[in-house]
Amino acid sequence: MMIGAVLAIVLTLAGAILAVGARNIVHAVFGLGICLCGVALAFLVLGSPFVAAMEVLIYIGGITVAMVFAVMLSTVGREEPREGMAKRVLAAIGALVFFGAGVAIILGMPEQITAPVTPEEAWSVEQIGRDLLNRFNLVFEALSLVLLLAIIGAITIASRSDESHDPTAGEGDS
Amino acid sequence: MPRTLLDIFPNPLIAVGIGITAVMTVLSVNTLFCIWFERKVSAWIQLRMGPMEVGFHGTMQTVADMVKLLGKQLVTPKGIDKPLYHLAPIVVFAPVVAAASLMPFSESVAITNTNIGLVLVFMFGGFASIGIFMGGWGSNNKYALLGAMRSVAQNISYEIPLILSSLSVVLLVGAMGREFAVDGGVIQANGMNLAHITGVQAQRGVWFLLLQPLAFIIFFIAVLAETNRAPFDIPEAESELIAGFHTEYSGMRFGLFFFAEFSNMFIGAMVATILFLGGWDGPVLPGPAWFFLKTYFLVFCMMWIRWTYPRLRFDQLMTFAWGILVPLSILNLLITAFLVKVF
Repeated sequence: MMIGAVLAIVLTLAGAILAVGARNIVHAVFGLGICLCGVALAFLVLGSPFVAAMEVLIYIGGITVAMVFAVMLSTVGREEPREGMAKRVLAAIGALVFFGAGVAIILGMPEQITAPVTPEEAWSVEQIGRDLLNRFNLVFEALSLVLLLAIIGAITIASRSDESHDPTAGEGDS
Repeated sequence: MPRTLLDIFPNPLIAVGIGITAVMTVLSVNTLFCIWFERKVSAWIQLRMGPMEVGFHGTMQTVADMVKLLGKQLVTPKGIDKPLYHLAPIVVFAPVVAAASLMPFSESVAITNTNIGLVLVFMFGGFASIGIFMGGWGSNNKYALLGAMRSVAQNISYEIPLILSSLSVVLLVGAMGREFAVDGGVIQANGMNLAHITGVQAQRGVWFLLLQPLAFIIFFIAVLAETNRAPFDIPEAESELIAGFHTEYSGMRFGLFFFAEFSNMFIGAMVATILFLGGWDGPVLPGPAWFFLKTYFLVFCMMWIRWTYPRLRFDQLMTFAWGILVPLSILNLLITAFLVKVF
């Protein structure tokens, strides 16, 4: 239990540092994959193998792979130049503010949310299904709306670039 | 329901050790057998003899090949992405072992038995595309990169009909097997528990192949694509891409990719057996015998298809996935959900 928790934290942090610090953008994406593995392990330690499996299935099997794919189709050089000092400081401040806000929200929550739950009761597949379609129905539907918008956006962008230039014109210079 | 190794052996370390040893042994023997079998099947289809020299009808041929692979020099090309190149075979191979340990091959004993077995199988399957990608990118070779890109696009596309078609089985299990006698007590059948899926089919005396023929066909086609088998083997299309993503791998590193490919085939056939062919269910013969007979029949079908159909073109492959398989599987799922709700 304890070893698992420590491993989850170490994996998540190491992956996150690799994701933001790697010069090679493909390494950064794989760093994100390691980070998400750590998050999945955290869910596992907390007693929900289903959420952990979904985390891996969707975020590592789907999102990370899609990101790698997008990176490969778009970048030419393998090494990214380092960002300027001002930009890095700004990014660090932004990340810290976000982290602080998250911690503040969690600490400000009422007791029953932060208190540990009995895993079998609260985390079972059935309970998650019920909660998603009853208590959190609005959130669930809003999320699917966001995904629909993303798909429409992607189609719009793809069809517009088709009109503006001949797709065969750019071939051969990469 | 099958007892798991954890029930039999009180010490989890011993149970895990025995489990891993058993799975590795089965996978190794399966790979050795499948390579010989594939050669024999292809020879039979093409009116040849196949391997005949080493052992009886060439049965020891793959053992000799394995020794050759072990003895080969590991060539590491220049300009590779070192961590990705070296990690790739492991990332491809390790999930295969984990996925194989989930299969309930008999009614009495299984290695593991979890309530989310089906989700876990798909989850471990998802790792394969990452590993292939790491190998293809890390090799610093244009052909390997092209093969990896094709493989990833193909795996993402065919994962959707694969999961959707198996979901209709999950719905049926939920509807058909509400209660289930286990060890004197009664538990609810869980649609994502692989042992329960088989159990419901055995209990009701009907295989889901008969109730869900369309889902079975979609599932089987998607498995062929997920395991990069012909006619979906464009990630390693020999005539265009040398060997695809594993062009730059030699010796046992290549061996691991090959090992993973044949094991994936085996696992895909096992999952299809569990979902649609009733798993261990069958008369006279004991459960495991039926399970492996059905599995190897499906493996034989995969080989049969490989040596019968030509390779698809990449755009045909994508159109087939998104234009035919995905709408059909969504339709099938909707109809199943409707019927389950009505009856």
